[in-house]
Amino acid sequence: MATQTQGSGAVSAVLMAGLAGLVVSLGIAFFNLLSGGHSAFNTGSDGVSWGLPVVNYVFFALTSTGLTLVASVAMTFGNKGWYPIAKRCVWLSLVTLVAGFASLALELGHPFRMLWAIPLNAQLVSPLNWMGIFYAVFLVLGILKFLRIHNGDWSSSSSKQIGLAALVTELLAGGMLGMAFGAMAMRPMWYGNLVPLYFILTAACTGGAFAVLVTRLSYDSEDTMPAQVRTLMRGPLPTAFAGLLGITILVIGYRTVIGLWSNADGLQVWDAIVASPWYWIEAALLIGAFFLLLQRKALAVASVMVIGGFFIDRYDFVIGGQLAPLFKGSWVPDLIAYTPSTTEWMLTLLAFSIAFFGWALGEKMLDLGAAPQD
Amino acid sequence: MAKWGMVIDLEKCTGCQACSTACQMENNRLPGENYQDVLYYTDGRQPTPQLKWFPRPCMHCEEPSCMHVCPTKATYKTEDGVVLIDWDKCIGCKYCMIACPYGVRFYTDEKPLIEPNIKQVFKGDGDLSWNPPYKGPQQDPKHGVGIQPNGVVSKCNFCYHKISKAPKGTADLDESNPELVEYVPACVRTCAPKARYFGDLDNPNSQVSRLISDKQGTRLLDHTGNKPQVYYVSGGGAASGAVPGTRSNKKA
Repeated sequence: MATQTQGSGAVSAVLMAGLAGLVVSLGIAFFNLLSGGHSAFNTGSDGVSWGLPVVNYVFFALTSTGLTLVASVAMTFGNKGWYPIAKRCVWLSLVTLVAGFASLALELGHPFRMLWAIPLNAQLVSPLNWMGIFYAVFLVLGILKFLRIHNGDWSSSSSKQIGLAALVTELLAGGMLGMAFGAMAMRPMWYGNLVPLYFILTAACTGGAFAVLVTRLSYDSEDTMPAQVRTLMRGPLPTAFAGLLGITILVIGYRTVIGLWSNADGLQVWDAIVASPWYWIEAALLIGAFFLLLQRKALAVASVMVIGGFFIDRYDFVIGGQLAPLFKGSWVPDLIAYTPSTTEWMLTLLAFSIAFFGWALGEKMLDLGAAPQD
Repeated sequence: MAKWGMVIDLEKCTGCQACSTACQMENNRLPGENYQDVLYYTDGRQPTPQLKWFPRPCMHCEEPSCMHVCPTKATYKTEDGVVLIDWDKCIGCKYCMIACPYGVRFYTDEKPLIEPNIKQVFKGDGDLSWNPPYKGPQQDPKHGVGIQPNGVVSKCNFCYHKISKAPKGTADLDESNPELVEYVPACVRTCAPKARYFGDLDNPNSQVSRLISDKQGTRLLDHTGNKPQVYYVSGGGAASGAVPGTRSNKKA
């Protein structure tokens, strides 16, 4: 079967919007970073060391993990009904990972030094080291897998093995990213051995959201979708997505209650998080999307709501873990104030622009709707 | 090989900040980014609030979480127990700043902690973050000593350019000993009430070992398992200093 897409009008619009976003964000970010260095960020040694650029990285790297999970439903676990979105998900997992890397690279003090310093001096007990290794290995495996399926090799033994290896490395990478936070016993907001699981669970949600959104945008309407895509979009995909989202909403709820309930020093940040309107916006977006998915209505809207909700969740997680000050003296308030700078927001725009421009370009040039012929 | 450590007597410390000033000069630190600081905070409530202070250098932990998380091994521990940063390997990921429970690391390539931005007044040469009007002769990036370069993290190095030259087998680096005074860390040497002691923790006869033993030295946030090599001693009375239990003390 083939599900060749011609590219809807939305794809062209996204392509142009992504290109505009790339030009604007790169222009402003590079000008500010080249003229002022990282003083263009609102991060600081007396408080928030990892700011919005790291939030972007965590969001997009985990989205990449999630997209690989969605692609694996057909390519690794053999559910043929999911084939029509598999190639699109593999491509998007690569693009979103590049988007995350781009934001992180502009946040690092010496991104080019990293290329030789990590391989030559690898600290084997550092979660960050392993996370970098696994994501780098996935990037290679993901490209290999995409090339295979782009050339029509969907199910040869070696193609399947590459796909399985890509899935395993993505899960290990996402888990290691969770461990990078979860191992921090000195920051109770993050600490916990289930953080890798939380990251993989939420990764599946954002991966599912991107998969549904770009699939919907690839066609002018549901009626113009090939039958297999329409079947998937009206049944198994939103159902599985809603199930995952429902479980995740419960987990977020329990995390919140535990954070509010406990008296451990450092968890007082949960009071501030819950007092913020953003927390309730996140709740409204995720719960609203859950009901839309259950009714299989407005899937694109539901996906955008999930993407928005989880971006807030990543922000609250990464930034919130740093708001209770360490030993910094009396001039530091009970909770550190942090608002991202314009340059930091430009890196968010950059990451989203890379993701959507990259997807639209792939949609135009790489026949992302292709599926096996049998 | 010695295992260098510090003892700070909170009963003697007057909170004068001479240690912080000496550290700033010795290590070319920017204002507000002293490796060594004295933190002020309040204890108790009206009508009996107390202003307290707490001197806090890097703890040079036995199990330094900052070292374990560093993906490039830029943060490392020397054989004589000092935690240092190799600025040539540091990629500026700031994971060490996240993982340090004591908040004693600095990334200079960002907004100044104290205005005006003195880096704009004394602009750095080449890769260096600034060009202080007074600077020491030492610039040793492999040991994180000297003027901090851009894009890397820095921290207290126990004045490694001094202590590493001390005669082998020295039990205590005591500033009152003329033969050793040049090897004593700046904060210890300048401490007017002599609240700081620096010596070999592995030597049971060193003054630091005896103080820890005799006065029941305690370590900051010992529950984190980092096992600091900086110990605090006090008389334990109401008027004397105490190791704060939490990190988020109320604003003074």
